[in-house]
Amino acid sequence: MKQHLGRQSGVQKVDVSLLDGKVDIVPKEDGQIDPAGVLKATYDSGVSVTEMGMTARGKIEKDASGNLGLQVAPNCFFAFVPNDLSSGLEALAGTATQVTIRGQLYKKPEGKKKGEASPPVKLLILQVQRKE
Amino acid sequence: MKTIGNRLAMAALLGVLFAPVDQAQIKHIEMRVEGMT
Repeated sequence: MKQHLGRQSGVQKVDVSLLDGKVDIVPKEDGQIDPAGVLKATYDSGVSVTEMGMTARGKIEKDASGNLGLQVAPNCFFAFVPNDLSSGLEALAGTATQVTIRGQLYKKPEGKKKGEASPPVKLLILQVQRKE
Repeated sequence: MKTIGNRLAMAALLGVLFAPVDQAQIKHIEMRVEGMT
């Protein structure tokens, strides 16, 4: 799996802890990494992802459907799962304010034995680390 | 004199445009997995 993930574009370093099933991925400096691609590559390597989280910096925007989310790059947008923290960021939509967010992108549904190859990826904000 | 001023202004402009900035980006990804041997 480590080799599988290491071949993904934008991946600089992969650390795997066999003991607790934790995988840490450090993106390259340009930050151009696709979490959905990482999820699929992990699935393709025969391992099931139970949870995926990320820390990212970007601007708060709304997509064409009006969903609030984090715009990390022109072609990289993560819609928020609505919660109190995402509501608090609504006023920043469309502004130049950069926000650093730690959140959960995927969690395997309870009771499901096998994960999906390409599940929908949405950002549940766990912590707003910085606004500037 | 004017040429030097123009060059300085151009250098300052280029400096601002190409200075390293703290870009929007994904800084870290972590996963919990199962079925790993």
